[in-house]
Amino acid sequence: MSNQKKRNFQIEAFKHRVVVDPKYADKTWKVLEHAIHEIYNHNASGLSFEELYRNAYNMVLHKFGEKLYSGLVSTMTSHLKEISKSIEAAQGESFLEELNRKWNDHNKALQMIRDILMYMDRTYIPSNHKTPVHELGLNLWRDNIIHSSKIQSRLLNTLLELVHRERTGEVIDRGLMRNIIKMLMDLGSAVYQEDFEKHFLEVSAEFYKVESQKFIECCDCGEYLKKAEKRLNEEIERVTHYLDAKSEIKITSVVEKEMIANHMPRLVHMENSGLVNMLLDDKYEDLGRMYNLFRRVPNGLLTIREVMTSHLRETGKQLVTDPERLKDPVEFVQRLLDEKDKYDSIINKAFSNDKTFQNALTNSFEYFINLNARSPEFISLFVDDKLRKGLKGVSEEDVEIILDKVMMLFRYLQEKDVFEKYYKQHLAKRLLSGKTVSDDAERSLIVKLKTECGYQFTSKLEGMFTDMKTSQDTMQGFYASHPELGEGPTLVVQVLTTGSWPTQPSSTCNLPSEMSALCEKFRSYYLGTHTGRRLSWQTNMGNADMKATFGKGQKHELNVSTYQMCVLMLFNNAERLNYKEIEQATEIPAPELKRCLQSMACVKGKNVLRKEPMSKDIGEEDAFFVNDKFSSKFYKVKIGTVVAQKESEPEKQETRQRVEEDRKPQIEAALVRIMKSRRVLDHNNLISEVTKQLQQRFLPNPTEIKKRIESLIERDFLERDNVDRKLYRYLA
Amino acid sequence: MPRASKRKAAPASSSSVTAPPPDQSRSRTAKATSKTRLKESDQIDNLFDTYANSSLGQIDPEGIETLCSDMKVEYTDVRILMLAWKMKAQRQGYFTKDEWQAGMKALKANTLLKLVKALSELKKEAEAPQNFEDFYSFAFKYCLTEEKQKGVDIESTCELLKIVLGYQFRSQVDSLVEYLKVQKDYKVINKDQWMGFLRFCKEISFPDMANYDENQAWPLILDNFVDWKKQKSGGR
Repeated sequence: MSNQKKRNFQIEAFKHRVVVDPKYADKTWKVLEHAIHEIYNHNASGLSFEELYRNAYNMVLHKFGEKLYSGLVSTMTSHLKEISKSIEAAQGESFLEELNRKWNDHNKALQMIRDILMYMDRTYIPSNHKTPVHELGLNLWRDNIIHSSKIQSRLLNTLLELVHRERTGEVIDRGLMRNIIKMLMDLGSAVYQEDFEKHFLEVSAEFYKVESQKFIECCDCGEYLKKAEKRLNEEIERVTHYLDAKSEIKITSVVEKEMIANHMPRLVHMENSGLVNMLLDDKYEDLGRMYNLFRRVPNGLLTIREVMTSHLRETGKQLVTDPERLKDPVEFVQRLLDEKDKYDSIINKAFSNDKTFQNALTNSFEYFINLNARSPEFISLFVDDKLRKGLKGVSEEDVEIILDKVMMLFRYLQEKDVFEKYYKQHLAKRLLSGKTVSDDAERSLIVKLKTECGYQFTSKLEGMFTDMKTSQDTMQGFYASHPELGEGPTLVVQVLTTGSWPTQPSSTCNLPSEMSALCEKFRSYYLGTHTGRRLSWQTNMGNADMKATFGKGQKHELNVSTYQMCVLMLFNNAERLNYKEIEQATEIPAPELKRCLQSMACVKGKNVLRKEPMSKDIGEEDAFFVNDKFSSKFYKVKIGTVVAQKESEPEKQETRQRVEEDRKPQIEAALVRIMKSRRVLDHNNLISEVTKQLQQRFLPNPTEIKKRIESLIERDFLERDNVDRKLYRYLA
Repeated sequence: MPRASKRKAAPASSSSVTAPPPDQSRSRTAKATSKTRLKESDQIDNLFDTYANSSLGQIDPEGIETLCSDMKVEYTDVRILMLAWKMKAQRQGYFTKDEWQAGMKALKANTLLKLVKALSELKKEAEAPQNFEDFYSFAFKYCLTEEKQKGVDIESTCELLKIVLGYQFRSQVDSLVEYLKVQKDYKVINKDQWMGFLRFCKEISFPDMANYDENQAWPLILDNFVDWKKQKSGGR
């Protein structure tokens, strides 16, 4: 049992009996070589995979990898050379087909060969930094077939020829194209690009250069764009069908450059069909196409925008300076609104609501609306017209829409304070004559103005409404406490708070005794309940309804201004009065009196008075009589004109002057506000700060600001810094 | 006492005061300097009394006129203005005793002759760059005769410009004066504008005015002046 001899167990590596037969390698290689031949000759079926694999395996194992590999290279190469010849021999159409067929064959062969040589692929090749079998196969194909002198250019030309034919309308074998192109792609992106794509792009550029030149000579802008779009889509489709997806962006760039970018100016400015014509004719489809095409090229949209802007500014400028248009303010504003609507439509439908275009539209409007200094007045007149009668019968929503559009124009105004002044005047006239179509509409607009400009802008306007309401209550109270007055003339008083209403200098006017007594009663009633206030009658703003009986017994009810009423009442006590007498009795200032007499004596249909002589002008010695022959179809005749009108030149000057005067304290207040918080500020910054603060109301003139600064310096609100004369300092 | 007698000896009023020879006064010993000073201040006072309007207790315009003719200097000479400046005179045409004393002491003049000599030194002093602005500013203030007056009328401004700046900035003053006379925007010139004129002369090259930038904080009157001048010389 005990073994005295201790034996150590050693496990040794299993050793092959290596047969280093020099001929062994050659023999083995021959087998494999033969196999490769058979594979290429489509005789693979007779081969044993297992045997071949084993042979390759052994070669590598016995350190004959080198031989195997180089053998593979040379065998494959020689086969490929033959294949090359057969491809070269192909005629015409069959060239590509042959190439395609051989390529498929090669791929199949390569696969089999790779399988057989897999051991080498995994061991010998990586450790010796050789190209793997599959890749090797591709490279050899590339070098021997694709880059063979007889095939290389022929292949390229064939492919390009086919593309060209397809572009000219022929149908080509797309499947074949796809396979060939795929082959190039499989050989590596360098091959695809160098041997095909590069040339494809160059040729395409040339093609489109020529085509675009041809089109632009014979087509108008719209047609050209259609063609360009079509070509672009074609190319995209081509890529999907048989090119590398990465080529899409490259070929589209080529088309965009050749067909669009290079001809942009010419297209846009084409006579009778260019951008401007499209805009004028609302060619949404064409415009949309242009937008979509141009956005692909650098500065494309910029070009469209610039042309649109300059056109818009030009049209706008003509609109606002055309004397014909300026005759009717309402028409003027309507045209502006129409123009805005038109472009809103275009931007919406054709330019996909592009914000930059909307901004361009806004800027253009801002530019030309302010070219005409009367724009604020006209917009107010437009609103006035709408609120008097224009909105009659219009639904609430539509009213809102119209008012919103007006607000949009208002936003473009630089001189919003001028608008405010006119709006106040026109509103006052509307309220006092009771001629507003809808209280709701009025109030709605005030709310919009408040939202836009702040409480200050509208507080006075709201005050006007309050006064009207309060006056109604006051009148009720007055008549309630004076029942005895029920029989006599009816007085309706609106008590206006000074400051809320536009200032009118009140002038002299002798009311007829019946009226003055009544007015006095009212005054004492009012002051009884509101001590400490002062009332002054604004005889230039009132109106009266009078019943008149004329010579032939015809009765009419006349609606006249207060001045007219005073004049007419005189004729209750006199047959004939001359101008001087009327002037003396009424004490109405001469220009007003003349206007009032003219409106009653010289206007057809309203001539309740007769004048001798019959001239239009009023002379000092002219005599007036009641026109006994007065006739009108209507029972109620309206003579007083309290409708807001476009101002005459002198009135306009006066209003402008008042606006300028109002601006001075506003500028000063802004200056003081800014300097108070900044303490020290330099000139240029001060000017820009002031401008910024005031821009909601108007655009201050730098010279005017300077004047105000100097005035403040003089009054010791500010001083100049001693050292740096550009600085201003706030003096507490 | 010699002191007293000296005092008594001083004439109450005399129109021609002969100053003692300069050397004599200066060569007095230190002990006697107090006497000198006293004597000097006496002389200053006496000089004052010579020209002062006794009921007013101040030198009035007439007195100044006399002073000028005695000094053989024109009434409108800029040096008189400078003298007023040195005296820090508050009221145009009048010198109070304090002002007179302060001015004469500062000029180290106690006699008329010394005063005359001091005047040319004074001119150099006032025209020195560090002082000129102060003098220039004073000149304007000096013209504000009424209590709450803030501005000087155009006529006077033009004259003042000629006197004060005419020597240094002849062509600018000529142009400015011409402009001021034809423009209608301003009837008086205020302090800010006045100071602006000096700045203009000092900083702006003339007559091209190439470095004038109206977007800087120049008074508006100068913006208008530059426009006027440019238009006159044939447009921009």
